[in-house]
Amino acid sequence: MYGRDGHILVVEDDPDLLSLEAEILSGAGYSVDVAHDGHEALEMAAARLPALVLLDMRMPRMDGWQFAKAFRERHGASCPIVVVTAAENARRRAEEVGAAGFLEKPFDIDEVLREVERHLGSPPVSSPVP
Amino acid sequence: MPRAVDIEGTAAGVEAGGRDPPPSTPLRVVVTYAAVGGLWILFSDRLLDQLVAPGPLNVALQTAKGWVFVLAGAALLYLLMRRDARQRAAVAAQVRAVLDSIEDAILVVDPGAHVVDANRAALGMFEGLLRGEVEIPLLDLAKASQMRMADGSPVLPDAFLPARVEGETLHRAAVVLHRGEGREVQAEVTAAPILERPGGPLRFAVVVLRDVSELRRRDELQDEFLATAAHEFKTPLAVIKAYVQLLQRRSTGEAAALEVVSRQVDRLSRLVQQLLEVARLKQGGPELALAEYDLSAQVREVLGRMNRMGGGQRLQATATAPAAVRADRDRIDQVLVSLLDNALKFSPHGGEVVVSVDRAGTEAVVSVRDSGLGIPPERQRQLFRRYYRAHEGDPDDRGGFGLGLDLAREIVSRHGGRVWFESETGSGSTFFFSLPLAPEAPHVRA
Repeated sequence: MYGRDGHILVVEDDPDLLSLEAEILSGAGYSVDVAHDGHEALEMAAARLPALVLLDMRMPRMDGWQFAKAFRERHGASCPIVVVTAAENARRRAEEVGAAGFLEKPFDIDEVLREVERHLGSPPVSSPVP
Repeated sequence: MPRAVDIEGTAAGVEAGGRDPPPSTPLRVVVTYAAVGGLWILFSDRLLDQLVAPGPLNVALQTAKGWVFVLAGAALLYLLMRRDARQRAAVAAQVRAVLDSIEDAILVVDPGAHVVDANRAALGMFEGLLRGEVEIPLLDLAKASQMRMADGSPVLPDAFLPARVEGETLHRAAVVLHRGEGREVQAEVTAAPILERPGGPLRFAVVVLRDVSELRRRDELQDEFLATAAHEFKTPLAVIKAYVQLLQRRSTGEAAALEVVSRQVDRLSRLVQQLLEVARLKQGGPELALAEYDLSAQVREVLGRMNRMGGGQRLQATATAPAAVRADRDRIDQVLVSLLDNALKFSPHGGEVVVSVDRAGTEAVVSVRDSGLGIPPERQRQLFRRYYRAHEGDPDDRGGFGLGLDLAREIVSRHGGRVWFESETGSGSTFFFSLPLAPEAPHVRA
């Protein structure tokens, strides 16, 4: 099953990592929006509600915790959040913001795709090599 | 560590009777005085009778001699008492100076929970609330300084003072005080009872408050630093790692080179992780996220992963019986990776690394056997020491921080297991670690 047109919002302050994540996901056939901090992410979510959010925790302006809270207040809990974190206890970070999953930096490409697929199902255009 | 002591100071190192002067021997002085006095009375009369014929002059001289004796006795008594008093004062001043030079706040509390004495640091900590000589109930002092237990609960009457003293009793607690201008003092409290005699009633208690505010602030700063360091190191590593993987998927030309880059990035990631872990463990370590799972399945998974990532199919599993453990999966993963990595690293001439999982009584035991360099006997004892690298400076030095085994042991022991090894120079090593098996789940449900 491929829910709500499989649109993913990636929030990450490091531009290289952000474009990389976008490349991995769009390469796998998902549609992707990118945001550099929580504020920008909220604006993007308001313009187009994603089916999944990949969320970095430590960001300038508005961090992951603040974003998760504001996002839930506006859009409810229907859209799962996957925390992408460098913290030692990624699981606890995920619990703190009520996330549906987490990815620990540095991650494998396959881990990212598996985690996304777990929430969204396979992308419409499945390509093994992004 | 402070201990309960009795007033005779029988417990090690504590002299509760420290206010008294060092034991002098008054008996000797008294005996000397009696002997000299007796001889004087006996012989001075005879001498006087020989020198002066009995008569008015003799009587007058007798009287004068008596007075001289009394005056000399009084003077001697005065000198002795003055010396004694000075000694006492000197000892008291010395004890006071010692107490006042101690940075921890010290309160002396009587059995009725009144503060009867305080050192300078205590006067500073409870500024304006304590004055030198005033007796004040301990609870009033706690109230006036807005003292709470570290968890926010109020300070109870017997929070520091052992209600009953049984043997060696020591209370430890963490408290927070609120002083003027929003100053918050975090303190660790220990209370040691001083007994009348061993097993006897409480004479007083020594309550020590150590100001740990600065320490706590430093811990918080270090936490903050670690979180930042983790972020700063791991984000670029994540970018490099994923791009290498992307390149590996796209190009076929540089497969070998990309494989090396990938392996080195993984190694760098592990080193960063180890550094952060060791810093974290120094502070007591993060909590374990315990869950029940099959250790054998995890071992097979880790083997598969490491074989794919450049282990070159050298890792083999034998005899992996299902073994349900209750453990922190990520941490045990780390232990396995660390042991397997060592096994590969220290068998530079190849050879299989054989891994098994066995059940032994109430424990699951994992063994990792290599046929590599082995550890020279003289280095075996230090193997688990932090930063120790058994092959440092050898031609076989494979680098690293010397943290892997230290961390592995720390993690395993926090699970209630242990790590050990057998090794022979030249023919390899076998490392073992044990974890308690998860208790059998009850099958019957209400």
